[in-house]
Amino acid sequence: MNKLQIFKNGVTTENPILVQQVGMCATLAITTSLINGIGMGVAVIAVLTGSNIVISALRKYIPDEVRIPAFVIIIAAFTTIIDLLMHAYTFALYQALGVFIPLIVVNCIILARAEAFAFKNGILDSTIDGLGMGVGYLVAMILLSSIREILGNGTILGLRILPEAYEPMMMAIQPPGAFIILGLLIGFVNYLSRRKNA
Amino acid sequence: MELVSLFITSFIVNNIIFMQFLGTCPFLGVSKKIDTAAGMGIAVIFVITLASIITYIVHHAILVPLELEYLQTIVFILIIAALVQFVEMFLKKSAPGLYQALGIFLPLITTNCAVLGVAINNIIYEYSFVKSLVYSVGTSSGFLLAIVLFAGVRDKVDYADLPESLKGSAISLITAGLMSVAFLGFSGLQL
Amino acid sequence: MKNNFVKLAGILFLIGAISAGVLAWLNDSTKDLIAQNDAMASMDPAILEAVMQGSVMFNDYEDTALVETAKGENNKIINIMTAVDASGNELGKVVRTWSTVKGFNGDMELYVGFTPEGKISGVSVISHQETEGLGSKTTLPAFTDQFKGKDGSSEIGENDIDAVTGATYSSKSFLSAVNNAIEVYTKYLK
Repeated sequence: MNKLQIFKNGVTTENPILVQQVGMCATLAITTSLINGIGMGVAVIAVLTGSNIVISALRKYIPDEVRIPAFVIIIAAFTTIIDLLMHAYTFALYQALGVFIPLIVVNCIILARAEAFAFKNGILDSTIDGLGMGVGYLVAMILLSSIREILGNGTILGLRILPEAYEPMMMAIQPPGAFIILGLLIGFVNYLSRRKNA
Repeated sequence: MELVSLFITSFIVNNIIFMQFLGTCPFLGVSKKIDTAAGMGIAVIFVITLASIITYIVHHAILVPLELEYLQTIVFILIIAALVQFVEMFLKKSAPGLYQALGIFLPLITTNCAVLGVAINNIIYEYSFVKSLVYSVGTSSGFLLAIVLFAGVRDKVDYADLPESLKGSAISLITAGLMSVAFLGFSGLQL
Repeated sequence: MKNNFVKLAGILFLIGAISAGVLAWLNDSTKDLIAQNDAMASMDPAILEAVMQGSVMFNDYEDTALVETAKGENNKIINIMTAVDASGNELGKVVRTWSTVKGFNGDMELYVGFTPEGKISGVSVISHQETEGLGSKTTLPAFTDQFKGKDGSSEIGENDIDAVTGATYSSKSFLSAVNNAIEVYTKYLK
């Protein structure tokens, strides 16, 4: 695949959340407001790209038998780096994302990409794959959190867009809303891809 | 009794899947048949409880006195990975049927957000050793409950007449959402 | 075979060591900034004003032995302080506490201020992990203002306050923190 195709792949055809359906935990929990969704999306891009680069750079030196623990150490290290940086430089966002920042390390997407791509491809390609998948994740987060914030709070990025008279759909912000809206979103994406392939 | 209340709260009221979203990947992946789901749930209870004990001790006995808290993520995840490796070897010898059935999802318990999540929460909530034990068993039992219930429902959903686009994960998520509504009803529970 | 094992372990150890080294360096460089953030989260002038009108500073309560006793007997208490105004006059006492009942995502951390007459002067959330747009509404004046002027000599019942719609957990957790502060105030500071 050429470089642009690798990137596009991550955003559309193999979108981690909408198509592959991995890394759901944070997706469901964090997307109660757009700013949180964006913050988490950006953090994941950082960890994913960083770990893809390092794992790809080291791929010839990491023995096959210990590759999973090696991946885990590297991913955990990047997660901690992002955690420290956010704690120091983006404190409000750090408080909002809470326990889900260290949980980036168990975000299946990152381990999956390390195993499926970074370990087998060059540094530049792995960087692009990391960015592509990360952006795909971010796009899905933006979609889901915008819907939930508008329906559940009447605001977007904290700014009111629906009139005061709108009774917010409380459920959109609560857990059931997350499951149902994501399910419908995936159903819609399925519908679109079926139409495209028909 | 505070401990009983803690158990019930982490088991149902704050159910790990339906209210806290931790552990959703295996939840959606392994819940197709009830026995596999039950097996997974029990394996998870085992891993979470042991992981909580070990990470708790390591945190309080090593990381804190040496001011190495920033290594928490790395150390915890390594402990969990090692634990899962042991469980895998143990199951391979003593319950090969279950080992086969769980397949790829067994090593994936390592990336189960619930395991790391519970370990970290024990530290954040500043639980005593006993409380973190109760919290771990309660939470992981909640996972077992959720996954078995879901497997039961999914069995029926498979026979339903659905629009093509909704088949698969879409309807699973919507179903999980409706079950989550039911669990939301527990939030008024006073203990 | 054994040689291979040593090599595998060695490589893992090396990766681990380098990672730990990088993190140690980063931890050191950001330590001060992080400490500052954590401190600022609790000393924001807006928070001071909301808890005790006119106060510019919260100082640690001078009877440190009493504070230690209180912390020993009540493990959710973080600190007891005095609120002072710009001239250094004491305006009242402030209790910094965790909630005793978990909110939706964890404990909430509050300041509860008490006037010399034993009434609540104000409450403010220092940190929480509640859902944005739902439980987070407990941090807003629309919710916290109702505590001002309440009697700080006895526990506030759930029926005496208006919870945030759809955020029962967060409201209950918030209330438990206030009641914990009241308990400490009546036991040690009256």
